[in-house]
Amino acid sequence: MNLLWQAVEPSYKTYLQLVVLIDMVFLAIAVIVIYALFPEWQWLPAPLWIGIPWAVLTLIMAFIWSARRLQFTAYARSPEAVLLRRGALWQSTRAVPLNRIQHVEVRQGALERLLGLAHLVLYTAGSSGADLSIPGLQLATAETIKNELILTIAKEPTEQESHE
Amino acid sequence: MSNLSWQRTPLLTIGFFIAKEVRDLVRNITNLLPALAAIVVTDKLWIPYAVGGAYLTYIVVRAILNQRFFLYALAEDAIHIRSGIFGKTNLTLKYERIQQAEIDQSWYFRPFSLVTLRVDSAGSAGKEVEIPGLTIALAHQLRQRMLAESTMPQEVEIEVSAPPSHTKTVSFPIGEVFRAGLIDNKIFVIFAVLMYPITQGSFFEDTVIPWFNEQLSFIQDSALLSISIVVVTLAVILFLAIGLTMLRYYGLELTVADQRYQARMGLFTIRTLSFRYEKLQRVLFQQNIRSRLLRRYSARVNQLQPVAQSQQVEGGAFVLPVLTHEQLAQLCDWLGIPPRHELTWHKIHFIALLNPSFWVGLTAPAIALVCYFNEVSASLSLIVGAGSWLVLQTYTVAWWHCYRFTLTQGWLAKRQGVLGRRETWYPLYKAQQITVYQSPWLRLLGYANLVIHSAAGTEVIKYQPYETAVALQAEWIQRIGTDTRRWM
Repeated sequence: MNLLWQAVEPSYKTYLQLVVLIDMVFLAIAVIVIYALFPEWQWLPAPLWIGIPWAVLTLIMAFIWSARRLQFTAYARSPEAVLLRRGALWQSTRAVPLNRIQHVEVRQGALERLLGLAHLVLYTAGSSGADLSIPGLQLATAETIKNELILTIAKEPTEQESHE
Repeated sequence: MSNLSWQRTPLLTIGFFIAKEVRDLVRNITNLLPALAAIVVTDKLWIPYAVGGAYLTYIVVRAILNQRFFLYALAEDAIHIRSGIFGKTNLTLKYERIQQAEIDQSWYFRPFSLVTLRVDSAGSAGKEVEIPGLTIALAHQLRQRMLAESTMPQEVEIEVSAPPSHTKTVSFPIGEVFRAGLIDNKIFVIFAVLMYPITQGSFFEDTVIPWFNEQLSFIQDSALLSISIVVVTLAVILFLAIGLTMLRYYGLELTVADQRYQARMGLFTIRTLSFRYEKLQRVLFQQNIRSRLLRRYSARVNQLQPVAQSQQVEGGAFVLPVLTHEQLAQLCDWLGIPPRHELTWHKIHFIALLNPSFWVGLTAPAIALVCYFNEVSASLSLIVGAGSWLVLQTYTVAWWHCYRFTLTQGWLAKRQGVLGRRETWYPLYKAQQITVYQSPWLRLLGYANLVIHSAAGTEVIKYQPYETAVALQAEWIQRIGTDTRRWM
């Protein structure tokens, strides 16, 4: 089966970088607060011992990890299923058969709205990990895919399909 | 909607609502622990009584109000339920969405010939609906209607290997139920419950131990006596554990009729669980060490299991706790699971041993070093290190050897476990999602894990060559996607 993998928007990388930056800033603030509040704790290492790994980690995450993640993330549509590739180091390729989709949702976080991005979530009845979320789509694209999916699902030849 | 006749449950069901409140309290007890600790620690003696009294009053008032405001109506195709004191809930449950029906003859309802009907629905909220205080006849009639409703599309649900459709009954004599008690793990639960107060608070240390020392100081003089006390205590706990399971499964009876499966059990509270074959999402056969010694199996059938419930519905699952080999084969036959002698179980590639063996290889020197630095002689440390390596490595190889999967007649099954055994069967066409997963390590080796998300849990098949995994994913997805049979 030849799949046509569709890459996500390049601005998804910017989104990932922003998320990394925000997380790392929160981490830094937490560490700084500890250092400021408890100067008497002897066992705390010199600030540089934390600062340098922090900076290296931030750089790696912001440049290498996010680039890799953008590069690998893609989605595809076969006649029976929607597929999604995701991950940077730990990679997974998920496939959801169309006739198992319960409902479809377009979601937009605050950061995503800033960049004009959205993600599309396909819910199944499976256990917690069984929902498929396609990130880094343009809002319009996400809406288009959603409508197209809903049409296809509604036209399915069975009368037993469930719509919760 | 307007022609529904709303009914209230009998006054007696206040007892049920009180029981429900108590159950909620027990379930949430961990959240309340800080508050409880604060109450116990205080030196004002009246506070615990006041809090306890207030809570009791609260429970009773709440239960009475809940009973007053609980209304149900039975329509042709659905149950409607209105409940709630301040926040009102209006629930409509279609019969065809019901996964499993349970009729509970609780001990406190039995003198009045009343039952509680409990049904699991398929909604993502995973609501479990309970209607207390129905008459037995009405509950049976209702259950019949629910299970019948779901048969509507007659022709599609019949499988290639459809189970036979006339009534069959299997009864489990008391001896088998006793075996179930031996097999069941309740003893550890009882232990935990008994140990809990002992480890908590100073009451035990301050009061109980001195009292024991005073009363029973002669015990310490006799080693034999103290040993026999421990043995007797353990025996009593074991007896209690077996008794609990026997109470639960007493008179267990499995009835299979027309694709409907029903299990009836219990001594004081009689529970009747039933589900329709088409709702089946997973079958699990288990053997722990005890059941392997007794040569018995336990079986569990799962239906669609919403996320919210998956942790806590254990009590409501369709379980047959003790099956002989013949009964297991019979059950497989009824469920349409291919017979055991026809199966070809596939091993996974031995490269799967590499990663665990690496960690085992690291553990052994670590154990040896720890021994050495704790003033154990060098040779003994070496022996301990080598010995533990041998044990762990043997276990790893045995784990790999026992790890098998098979794909037969539309079923996907996985078997694993060295000491205990665990065999899980999934009707593949009901799977919800198939994932090919690669960690950096797996990618390096060119292998991948296949993850199957079903509606009743997730199964991983490890270490498939990457190309095979992708091909299997494509094939299965295509098969599921073109299967128009009803899956729930």
